Amino acid sequence: MAISPEYLGLLRASINSSPEWKQAWERTNDYLDALRIPADLERELLLLSSFERAIARKRKEPSTPATELAFDEAQKALDATLADLISEKVPADRRSVEERVRVYLMQPTQSSVLSPGNRLSNDVLAALREVRLEAVPRLQQAAITPRPFALNSAGERLASLAGKFSLLGSNRILAWIVGLCLVGLLIYISL
Amino acid sequence: MSGPGRSARLVELVGSTRLGEVFRRKVRQRRWGVTLVTLCVAAIGLWLFSDISGSTGWSPVKVLELVVFSVLFTTLAFGFTQAFVGFLVLAEGHEPLKITNTLDENTPLASTAVVMPIFNEDVATVFGNIRTLYRSLQKRGELETFEFYILSDSTQPEKLVEEELAWADLCRQTNGFGRIHYRRRKVPVNRKSGNIADFCRRWGHRHRYMVVLDADSIMTGESVASLVRLMEVNPRAGIIQTMPKLVGSETVFGRIQQFASRLYSPLFAAGLNYWQQGAGNYWGHNAILRMSPFLTSCTLPVLPGREPLGGRILSHDFVEAALMRDAGWEVWFAYDLEGSYEGLPPNLTEYIKRDRRWAQGNLQHVWFLLADRVQPISRLHLIQGILAYSSAPILVLFVCLAGIQAALDHFRGHASSIPLPSAIVLALLTLLLLFGPKLLSVLHLFAQPDLLRRFGGAKRAIAGVAMETFFSVLTAPLLVWFHTRFVLRNLSGQKVVWNTQTRGGGSGPRWIETLREYWPVPVAGVICGILAWWISPMYLLWITPLLLGLWLAIPIAQISGRSAVLRRLFQTPEEIEPPRELSKAEPFQLRTGDQFVHAILDPFYNAIHVALQRRRAVRAPELNEHPEDLANKLFEGGPTALTAEEKRALLSDGPTLAKLHILVWRTPAEKMNPFWAEALRAYRNEPPVTVQT
Repeated sequence: MAISPEYLGLLRASINSSPEWKQAWERTNDYLDALRIPADLERELLLLSSFERAIARKRKEPSTPATELAFDEAQKALDATLADLISEKVPADRRSVEERVRVYLMQPTQSSVLSPGNRLSNDVLAALREVRLEAVPRLQQAAITPRPFALNSAGERLASLAGKFSLLGSNRILAWIVGLCLVGLLIYISL
Repeated sequence: MSGPGRSARLVELVGSTRLGEVFRRKVRQRRWGVTLVTLCVAAIGLWLFSDISGSTGWSPVKVLELVVFSVLFTTLAFGFTQAFVGFLVLAEGHEPLKITNTLDENTPLASTAVVMPIFNEDVATVFGNIRTLYRSLQKRGELETFEFYILSDSTQPEKLVEEELAWADLCRQTNGFGRIHYRRRKVPVNRKSGNIADFCRRWGHRHRYMVVLDADSIMTGESVASLVRLMEVNPRAGIIQTMPKLVGSETVFGRIQQFASRLYSPLFAAGLNYWQQGAGNYWGHNAILRMSPFLTSCTLPVLPGREPLGGRILSHDFVEAALMRDAGWEVWFAYDLEGSYEGLPPNLTEYIKRDRRWAQGNLQHVWFLLADRVQPISRLHLIQGILAYSSAPILVLFVCLAGIQAALDHFRGHASSIPLPSAIVLALLTLLLLFGPKLLSVLHLFAQPDLLRRFGGAKRAIAGVAMETFFSVLTAPLLVWFHTRFVLRNLSGQKVVWNTQTRGGGSGPRWIETLREYWPVPVAGVICGILAWWISPMYLLWITPLLLGLWLAIPIAQISGRSAVLRRLFQTPEEIEPPRELSKAEPFQLRTGDQFVHAILDPFYNAIHVALQRRRAVRAPELNEHPEDLANKLFEGGPTALTAEEKRALLSDGPTLAKLHILVWRTPAEKMNPFWAEALRAYRNEPPVTVQT
C-alpha cells in the first residue's frame, strides 16, 4: 500500500476535527483493542484505509452514521486480511465469527494476522482453514438400562406397613398429636 | 518374611487359587476380629448402662432407653475399634493386604476419561484444577491415554458463557483441543448421577476407565496414573477409591476440619481398609471406575415412591458401589495413595447446607437395606451412611428419654440411688470411645518426627488438637440439631433443593443471615436448660456440654466463617510444604464482570459461544418471543430487560447472537441504550493476552 505520510496526517486531522468521525475512530479502535490486535503500523494502515472508504461512502449515504460506515469498512478490511485463514465454504454470515475464532486461536502470536511480512506457513494456513471448534468428541453411544429395583420379602412387608402410616408423614399436626400421645402413654405406664 | 517381601509374594501370587483361599480366610478372620471387639466393647457399655438403669427397677421408658443406647453405643464402639485397628496397622508399619502393594510403575496405561461434573461452580477453580492435572500428566509424559471431560449442568446464563471461554482458554494454553472436552446438558435430568450417566451413554465405549472428580478435586498426575495401573493389575477391581486430603481452606471452620481430617483420618482409613478389603465403598469422586461393569451393572434404579425418600436416587455413590459389588466386582480403598485432594465448605452454614442434601440422599438408602441382591458388607456401608444423619434424632430421643426418666426418678426420690462406680466407669468408657481415636492419632503423629514438624511442631499440634476438640464439642450439638431437623423433614415428605455448593474461602456469613438461620437453636437450648433445671440441677449439669453448643450457636456460626484468625494453629503438611501441584494450582484468569454481557460484546467470547452452537435453537415453548425479538429487547433495554430464562434462550441461538454483537459495535453511542455505550468503553486499551505455557 503506497500512501504518503502527508496524506495520512491530513486524514487523521480531518477525522479528529469532526466529532462524529472521532467517535467512529474511537469505536473502531476499541474493537481492534478487544480483538487484541497490537497498535502498530499495520493496524493504523488498516484503519486509515477503512476510514478513507467510509468517508467516501458517507458522501453517497449522508444519513448513515459514520460509526456504522467505519465499522463496516474495518470489518471488510479484516475479512480481506484474514481471508486466507478461512475456508471458502464458510457462509458469508458466519465468516466474522470464524475469523474471530482464528484470531483467538493464534494468540499470542497475532501480530502475524495483519503483517504481510510475517505470513504463516502454508501448513499452518491449511490447518487453520480446516479448524472446526468442537467441544465434544464423536459420539460412541452405549445403551445402559437401569436395574429393576426389587424388595425382599421383609422389605415388601415393611413398605406396605410404611404405606399405612404415610398419613402421619404428610400431616404434621397429626404426627405431633400421635407423637405426644405416645410419649404420654410411655410416661403413664412407667409411673 | 519381612513386609516388602510379603507384598512382593502377594503380587507374585495374584491369580492363583491358593492366594484366593488364603486371602478370603484372612479377610474373614479380620472381619470377625473387628466384630468381636466391637461387640465386646458395646456389651461392656450395655452391661454398665443396664446396671445403672436397673438399680431403681425397670420401666418401659428405661427399656426403650436401653434399646436406643445400644444403637448409639455400638456405633461409637465400631468407630473406636476401626481407629484402634488402624492405629495398630500404622504402628506395625506394613499392611500386607492393601491394593497399593500391587502397584507396578512399569504397567502400561490404558484409555481413561477424567470426568468432572459441574453445576454453576466457580469456573476459575474448576478449569484451574483440570489444568493442574493435565500439566502434571504432561510433565510425566503420560498424557497420551487420558481425555478430560468437563460435564456441565450449569443453568446460570453467565456461567454457560464463562465455562465455554474457560474451556477454549484451557485448550489454547495447553494445546489440549481434542483432548479436553466440554459438554453442557440443556436439561440437568437426575443431577450429578444423571450427568455421569449421560456421559456414559455418549462416550462410555471410548474408554476403559473413568476417573471421577468433583469441582474442587485436585489430583496429581502420579496419583491418577497409579490408579489406572492398579486397575490394570487388578482385573477384578471395579472401583478404586482414594482418600482425598482436605486442602485450600482459609476460614477457621475449614482449617479446623482440614487439620482434623489430616490428623485423624489416616487411622480410620487404615482401619476401614483392614476389614473391608475388596468390599469397599465409593464416595463419588477422586476415584477410578472400570467402564464396562459400570455401564452394565451400575445404572441406578428408580426407587419406589416419591422424593424425598423414593424416586430418583440423590446420593448415587454408595449405591453404585453396592451394585458393582453385587455384579461380582471388587471395590477397593487406596487409602495410602498420595496426591488426591479436595476442598470443603468454608463455614458451618455451608457445611450444614451440604449435609442437608447428603442427609436426604443417605436416607433414601433405607430401600437398599430391604432390597434383594445387596451384599452384607454393602448393607453395612449403607447403614453407616444412614446412621451418619439418623443417629442425631436417635441421640435426641435418648436425651429426651433420659430427661423423662430423670424427672420420674427425681420426683420419686430415686436419683441418689444410682450406683456411682458403674456410672463413673461408663462415663470414662464413653470418653475413651469418643476421644480415644484422637489420642491414638496424636501418638501416631509423635512417632513420626518429620510429619510432626510438618504439622507445625509438637506445641502447635497439641494446641491444635485441644482447640479442635473444644470446637467439635461445641459444634456437635449444632449438627445434632440440624441433622434431626433434616431427617424429620425428609420423613414428613419435604425434599431439598439442589443448590450450588459454596466452596473455597468465600466471605464469611453476615450477622443478619446467621441470626435468621440460627435463632431457634439458642432459644431451644434455653428452654431445654430451664426444663433440665426444673427436673434437677444435677441433670442440667449432666446435659450442659450438649446445651453449651446450642446456647453459643450464633457466635460459633459467625466465627466459623472468619479467615485470618488462629493462623498459627491447625497447620497441616500440605499447608506448610504444599506439593508442587497444589502450589501451582493458580486460578484461571478470566474476564471479570457480567459474563452474559461479554457474550454479546467480547469478540472472542461471542465467537466461541456462537461457534459452539451447532444448530439453530428450537424456541422454548414457554417463551412467547423469538430470539430476534429477545435480541431487540436486550439491545433497547440492556441486560436487565431479559429474564434468566430469556437470556438462556437467546444464548442458545448462535446466529442471532453473532448479529447482535455486530449491531452493538457498529451503532453510535447516542442511538443505543447508554448501558451498551458504557460497557463498550471497557474494551479500550485491552491488554495483550498472556498465555501461560
